Amino acid sequence: MATQQNCALPSGFLLDHYRVERQLSLGGFSIVYLAYDQDGTPVAIKEYLPNSLALRAEGEVTPHVTEAHQGAFRYGMKCFFEEGRALAKLVHPNVVRVLNFFRANGTVYMVMQFERGRTLHDYVQKNKGNIRERFIRGVFTRMLNGLREVHAHKLLHLDIKPSNIYLRADGTPVLLDFGAARQTLMSDTPILKPMYTPGFASPEQFAGREALGPWSDIYSVGASMYACLAGTSPQRSDERIKHDSVVPATRAWAGQYSPHFLATIDWCLQLDSLKRPQSCFALQKVLAQRHREAPPQQKTWLEGLGSRLKTMIGRS
Amino acid sequence: MRFTIYQESRVGKRRTNQDRVAYSYTRDALLMVLADGMGGHLYGEVAAQISVQFIAQSFQQEARPKVADPVLFLSRVLSNAHHAILDYAFDKQLSDIPRTTIVACLVQDGVAHWAHAGDSRLYMIRKGRLVAQTRDHSRVQLMLDQGLLDAEAAAVHPGRNRIFSCLGGNHPPQIEFSRGVSLANGDVIAICSDGVWGPLEPHALVNALADGRVMDSVPKLMNEAESLGGVQCDNMTLIAMTWHDDQQEDVPDTVSTRTMPADAFTTQMEGFGRGKRDQEDLSEDEIERAIREINAAIHKFK
Repeated sequence: MATQQNCALPSGFLLDHYRVERQLSLGGFSIVYLAYDQDGTPVAIKEYLPNSLALRAEGEVTPHVTEAHQGAFRYGMKCFFEEGRALAKLVHPNVVRVLNFFRANGTVYMVMQFERGRTLHDYVQKNKGNIRERFIRGVFTRMLNGLREVHAHKLLHLDIKPSNIYLRADGTPVLLDFGAARQTLMSDTPILKPMYTPGFASPEQFAGREALGPWSDIYSVGASMYACLAGTSPQRSDERIKHDSVVPATRAWAGQYSPHFLATIDWCLQLDSLKRPQSCFALQKVLAQRHREAPPQQKTWLEGLGSRLKTMIGRS
Repeated sequence: MRFTIYQESRVGKRRTNQDRVAYSYTRDALLMVLADGMGGHLYGEVAAQISVQFIAQSFQQEARPKVADPVLFLSRVLSNAHHAILDYAFDKQLSDIPRTTIVACLVQDGVAHWAHAGDSRLYMIRKGRLVAQTRDHSRVQLMLDQGLLDAEAAAVHPGRNRIFSCLGGNHPPQIEFSRGVSLANGDVIAICSDGVWGPLEPHALVNALADGRVMDSVPKLMNEAESLGGVQCDNMTLIAMTWHDDQQEDVPDTVSTRTMPADAFTTQMEGFGRGKRDQEDLSEDEIERAIREINAAIHKFK
């Protein structure tokens, strides 16, 4: 079957009280637009438009959904609502902020704060093989602040990957795209294809979903850090279970990064969920350690402050 | 609030049921609405469904737990329902705009207000006597009023189904509003389509509902109308509500809203009769509710 591409709304289109500027991205599940509200504030608007179920032809506004696809279209809308619900509850500097949610053109829209910057994925591609340990530790430690907030609301992200981690101009990370986020215990049989990206998903996501937990997101964090070094994701975890061909970070980049850091990545990428860090906090504690051999409690209080000051200077 | 309520709709001898009926209540307000889609026109069923659904939804949104002004509310929702039908016809590029009669009745603070367009009727019965009734927006009713016709002739007049006001269609509806009527213990309000009142003798309906035991009297009346309707039997829909004093002891089958939370509502409405929709399917209601909830959560944390 040929894949159909949905047409984006044209520039200048008035969507509720927002004026569409241009398309930012086109996914299988949605289109994201840059738009401006009546005060000229830029926003990102995500339009629910699953490629396989709804088709918007050139010059049309309301997408066409065949009778046979109505059920699945509505079901997908439920998932879109889950994302909205999940995000609406979260207010955190490292999590994208939802501003509004509305219905138009036979589908639904989520308005988010527009962030300037680029994705970690783009950054990694541009600086391949030249990414410093301190940068990765910094980005992920702060990103984990956001993820902790997500977990604190009994939610899982389930689609953490470099292209869902956005770096603001000042270098602070923002966690995007909660399309796969679910209230942890939703056991619906999915009609739509799962939304996660294979190389970053934990083995639990391929198997029964009962074993999902914060440790599943931790696996994706590990895979994302691994991708920062390798430039690509590690082997899919469902294939790793059959035949693991992933070279541990401790072997692949020995000498280029601190053994402590590389061991941390391998720790997150354990196939056995019990062998991984069990919480964001546990992982954060390890990532925040900067001196290879010296555990933090041996540092004096002043040194600790000094290294923290250095990061702040290094950031600006 | 305490009341007993019963609604029933039957297809009669027609192919489809173009009648729609619903009631919805919160802790402090009750809405009843009935629409009879006009069969001679395209999509009468759709017009009836849109109207009932729209009016019930508006009630659910605004009655928290009461609406601000009953008359303004009825006026606004009926005219908005009319426009919703026009929008639908425009969206679907229908050659003719669907039409429906409408009766909507809102009870709050112990006072009933109603509004109607067309020939579906509302009867108010107190102590076994008819104290109020809507006047049909039909040609025969006009002729009756002008003395050009008597009741006997009107019952068989060939144009008795022609109405001059409805929701949808090419002309703006002429909606008639009642004054507010304070309800007393035992009062009955009944709303029905012409499939019910048509075949029945003028006082049969009032007499049957007089005792207020609507759970029994409504199905009985429906049976009677159906047998009188014979092979030509039209769609028949009847909803009846008996009002009870809050002080009164529990009567079986009554609805008491005293323990309801202020923001909750309960709705009884049937959808399009054919084909049960997928259980996974998300109703319009659920979509609206999800969006409201999400926005409430967003604004709570702003």
